Parts: sequence; C-alpha cells; structure tokens
Amino acid sequence: MTAPTTTPPSTAAEPTPTGDATADRPLLKVTDLHVDFDVRGRIGWGATHEVVRAVDGVSLAVARGRTLGLVGESGSGKTTTGRAIVRLLDPTSGSIAFDGQEIADLRGEPLRQLRQRFQMIFQDPYSSLNPRMTVRSIVEEPLDVHGIGSRLERAERVVALLDLVGMSIQAADRFPHEFSGGQRQRIGIARALALNPDLIVADEPISALDVSIRAQILALLERLQADLGLTYVVVAHDLAIVRRISDEVAVMYLGRIVEQAPTAELYRAPLHPYTIALLSAVPIPDPAIQARRRRIILSGEIPSPAQPPSGCHFHTRCWLYQRLGEPERCRAERPPLQAAGVDHPVACHFVDRIDGSVEQLQAVGRAAPSHTPIAPAPR
Amino acid sequence: MTLLSVRDLVVRFRTQENTIHAVNGVSFDLEVGETVGLVGESGCGKSVTSLAITRLLPTPVGRIEGGDILFDGRSLLRLSEAEMRAIRGREIAMVFQDPLTSLNPVLTIGSQMIEGMVAHEGLSTADARTRAVELLGMVGIADGHKRINAYPHQLSGGMRQRVMIAMALSLRPKLLIADEPTTALDVTIQAQVIDLIKELTRRSGTAALLITHDLGVVADMTQRTCVMYAGRIVETATTSELYARPRHPYTVGLLNSISRIDQEPRDLRPIEGAPPDGSRLATGCPFAPRCAWRLPVCWSDDPTLAAEDRDAPVITTGPAASHLAACHNPVRADEVEVGRPQRPGFVAAPNPALVRAATS
Repeated sequence: MTAPTTTPPSTAAEPTPTGDATADRPLLKVTDLHVDFDVRGRIGWGATHEVVRAVDGVSLAVARGRTLGLVGESGSGKTTTGRAIVRLLDPTSGSIAFDGQEIADLRGEPLRQLRQRFQMIFQDPYSSLNPRMTVRSIVEEPLDVHGIGSRLERAERVVALLDLVGMSIQAADRFPHEFSGGQRQRIGIARALALNPDLIVADEPISALDVSIRAQILALLERLQADLGLTYVVVAHDLAIVRRISDEVAVMYLGRIVEQAPTAELYRAPLHPYTIALLSAVPIPDPAIQARRRRIILSGEIPSPAQPPSGCHFHTRCWLYQRLGEPERCRAERPPLQAAGVDHPVACHFVDRIDGSVEQLQAVGRAAPSHTPIAPAPR
Repeated sequence: MTLLSVRDLVVRFRTQENTIHAVNGVSFDLEVGETVGLVGESGCGKSVTSLAITRLLPTPVGRIEGGDILFDGRSLLRLSEAEMRAIRGREIAMVFQDPLTSLNPVLTIGSQMIEGMVAHEGLSTADARTRAVELLGMVGIADGHKRINAYPHQLSGGMRQRVMIAMALSLRPKLLIADEPTTALDVTIQAQVIDLIKELTRRSGTAALLITHDLGVVADMTQRTCVMYAGRIVETATTSELYARPRHPYTVGLLNSISRIDQEPRDLRPIEGAPPDGSRLATGCPFAPRCAWRLPVCWSDDPTLAAEDRDAPVITTGPAASHLAACHNPVRADEVEVGRPQRPGFVAAPNPALVRAATS
C-alpha cells in the first residue's frame, strides 16, 4: 500500500540501475510529458492560433500490479494524460517508458504490436460498444485484429473471457443494447482483457453506473487485478472511488500534477490547497460528520488551459493565497513539485503552512481542534 | 404546515408493446421550509414522481393512474392545464440535471429570466431586467449586467446551473424541485451549487424536494430522506436517523456500496443483481430477489411502510418524523456494518417459483 511507486520529476539524476534492472523497474514510467493541442480559430479578419497545453510536464511511474489514480476537475488534463499513455494521442514531447521500452514516439507496426499489452476501458458503456456487433464479435475483435489463435481457440477464449468478467455464455450472441450499463461495462472489460494486457488505463470506469452496480464493477476490477496481476491507471473525478481503488494518487490541475502521494497518506494529510479544497467539497455520507465540516468554496471555475494564470496556475482560485494576503511569489513563480513528506511531492510555495491546519483536518472529515487561522505570510 | 402531500401515487407508462409500472403507490408529505431527499437508482421512479407533481409527464404515454397530489390545499390533478401553468414556475420551480436542455438555446438568459417575471409577476421589462441582474448577483454571477446578454452555450455548466437556480427562485416559489442538480458538475462547482441552494432555501423559506442518487449530497442538504426502489418508498426517516440506523436491506446495501473519502476502504459488499425494469409488477417484495434477509413471506406478500413500533402514531413531516421501513425482516443494528444477516443458521429463502420448477 505504501511502497514508493512514483518518482517526482524534481529528484535530480536518474538512479543508475544496479543488479536486476527489471525487478524494481516500474511497468510504466512517464517523464516530463507534454501534450499540446493547436486551436485555430478566426476572429474578424485575422486568423488566430492558440496552443493549449493540455498536459504540461507530467511525470509519474506505476509499479507492476499496482494502481495509480489520476484525479482532477474537467480540464485538468487527466484524461489527455491517460490517452497519451496508451498512445491514443501523440505526445508533443517527453518520455513514456513501458516495461523499459520507449513508446512516446513509436509508430506503425511496432506500436501496433506493443498495443496488445496496454488497453483502455472507457467511461460510457453505451457509446463505446458497436451496437451492430454481437457480444461475441466485440470481445473477439482484438484477437482477430492481431491474428491470434485459430477460430476454435478464439471461440474458447471468448467463453473464458465472459466467464472471467462474470457473464454467462448465453450473452455471447446478444447485442449490447440488450444489456444494462453494468453488464455493458463488463463486456468492455472482457474486450480489454482479450489480449492479456499488462496495463489497463480506465477512464472513469464506473461513473456512468448506478450506485449498487458501481460496487460490483469495482469488485470485479479488484479481483481481476489480484488474479491477473494487472497494472491500472484509473482516471476519475470521484475522490471517494479513487481512494478505494488506488495505491497511489496524483492530483492534476491545468495540465500539471500538483500533489502526489500514497493513497492513505493523501487522504490522511493532503498538503496542496487544491487537494484540500477538492476533498472538502466531497460530501461525506454521514449527516453527523457532514454537519461539522466547513467547505472551502473555490471561487470561479478552472481557467482556460489556453491562457493559464502566471506563476502557480492555481493562485487565481487559491484560498491559501487569499488567506496569506496574496503573496507576490504565487503570481510570479511556478512552484516546483518537491518532496513535502515521504513519497509525497507537492507543488506549493507555502506547503509548510498547511499541515495540521483546520482546513486540512475538516477536508478529510477529522475533528478539528479550536480554530487557529492561517496568518498572512511575511512579505 | 403541510405544503405538499403525495398520496398513493401510481404512474404507468403504456405503449402498444408493454406497460411500465414506474410509480407504485408513493406517499409522502413536505412541510413548509423543509428539504427532503428522494434517493434511489435509475428507474426507481424518483424522477417520474417529480414529473407527476409538476404534471410534466410525457403524454399520452405517461399517466397518473391513481392517488392524489395536494399542493397548498389544492389537488394538482384536478387543475386545468392553464391553471397548472400558472403554478409551474410561479409556485413550484424546477431545476434539472442538465441546464442546457432546459434553457432555450436561441434566447439570451436575460430574456428568459425577464419573460418569466413579466408573465408571472407583472413587472415592467425594465424592472424585471434590474431584478434579473440582482438575482444573478445572488447566485454568484458578479458581472450580471453583461452575462444577461449571453446565450446559454456561452456559459459553462456550473454557470448555467446558477442561471437555472436564479430563474427558479426569481418568482419566489413555495416549492423547489431539484432533479440531480449537481450530477453533471465538477465537485468544486457542485459544492458551490449545494451551498447556493441551501442558503437560498433557508433565507426564503422555500421547501425543496431533492432528487438524487448521491447519498453524500442527501446527507449534506436534506432534513428528511425517502429511499425509493421499484417505484415505491422502501424506507423513510429524518436524514440523521436514516444514516445512523438504516433498517431496510436495500438502504443498508446502498450505504455499504459507496466509498468514502474519510474511511479506509473496506471489503466491498455489493448488492447482487440489478433492479427490476418495471415491465412486470412483482408479487411480494420487489427487492426480494436481491435481498440477503428475505424470508419465505417476502416472495408472496408486499410489505407496507411501517414503524418498528406498529402502535406508535405516524408522524410524516418535520424533525420528529417517524422512521418507516417496508420490510418483513428488517436489518438489526449489529448487522448494518457487516451488511449480512448475523443469525445462526439463517439462509435467505429461495424463490418458490424456481423451487417448484426444479422439483416438477
């Protein structure tokens, strides 16, 4: 649960591999990933050209058999990061090492071959399955595409895959619309597992499902990880679900990771003002606890990634920045992601003011002692 | 004082092929100034109940086939469409999940707000405009005089939901019906909208009916909760009582299904199976096929909502409202945490229809 699985980008040099390099090599290692989108538009007579930095220097690593949760609001770049990792998008720069092999600039046949080993599960089980294909052909398609097995072997594999995700063989000859959302998500998972992948990137895998069905799919994902040794990157906006499924969590804001920590640590003592605000906004399903929490209301909405604020991207909405009397440093200087605790990098100039604060305790639902307000920063 | 009283409401959707039993005898009351949550999963009938109250069911497919809805002493079911139109918006306001579909895309938000106030409150256009800017300020849109000229697509989702709330409250309604008002929003924006609704209902004494699947939002916003399953209320109590001492196996299953930010993850105990689709009315308790506590009687007799002490008088509203559950074999306090019956030798009763089929 607390093993170090990530490497903050600010740690100086690469450790030189000693002994058996594959043993402690992370399955996935992303370094300084950038994904830019060109947005062309036309205002009046002049053509405009903007670059949106959807992912702005993200570094992370996931060890084999573990789960990294990527959280943030819409526009944080979490989905783009997930898509770049499985190479549904071309990164602008940076490195993606999958099982030691660089895949950021891999193209064509070599990429197609390696694709078998990383798969994606999508949010919407209603639009990600072809309505004209039977469940059998949906699950079998990846095997066909990669020319794996004889016809008989493929048919057997479909039966085994449906069984693996808790569906009966009777489902094989039916169409997606005959199934509920939860069943469709099982079909999507069976398809993702067809090629025996090592890594699965799941983009909001359960947020479109009903509460009682969510727990079923989460239990399935947990069981598959235990049985097959899968490695997950789960992209989600729901912090409660991320706590449930992740070993490690990275919080993103406007294309950058602002905080990263082992799950238990992050939910015990979050250190970035954005993480604290996010957690404080999640209602705890216990009226007694909820009644004594005070929410941190962030002003406004996430700014456009085309024109991110100067310095710390978050300062325009930051409650701590307000509380500290709007220090110049937050507007001028980008805070580096640096260690604030064991395996706990945080990108905030004033991280030392947070630990033990009432805001931090209330955000995670702990009883706070008498209120000691955070005082303005010395200028 | 009781503002809204829904009595034995039955709603069915009839098409040529089949009949969907969407709401099957729902009763609840709402007091002036009270916020009550209707919580359940998709298809449980919570949204259909709200559409029935506002008489916005899709005609001619959806029909109220039984019961009554009393609002402020009048039966809404006996009103003409014209009379109902005067109540909608003016006395009962609505906020929906997706504000983009409930705002007119070709009109500016200002003209939509002004239209309502001119029609219902008899304000002049200029006065209504001033009031609209004020209302936008109240819901946290500072540059209201500029935003008022914006079209819905020019605003973000959170902004549109604020506009909807501003419009809903512009006519000082007695009742606000909010159907998944925060579901499409990011969590920080959800927090803003929740606080906004709480603050505005508190200040104006507006009663609110909150329809949601999110047990966290219910815990945060409501004083009382009704849990719905298969078109009926299976458990109701004050929100604090319901969360502290749930008695219906479905409520217990829901509470045990959700992950929490403030707790170490526990072993998941999902409710097995899926909710019924409403095309057939179950004999017996509709939750029986998924229930770990079911008795033989659950397969044959549909339980009615009742208090633990069946002789106690039933209080339907307010902070002393009775805790009612529709269950033949309620969950005991020591079983809530575990999520399973803790009675030596207890086995959930098998479906008699399947047993008969197997033995014949």
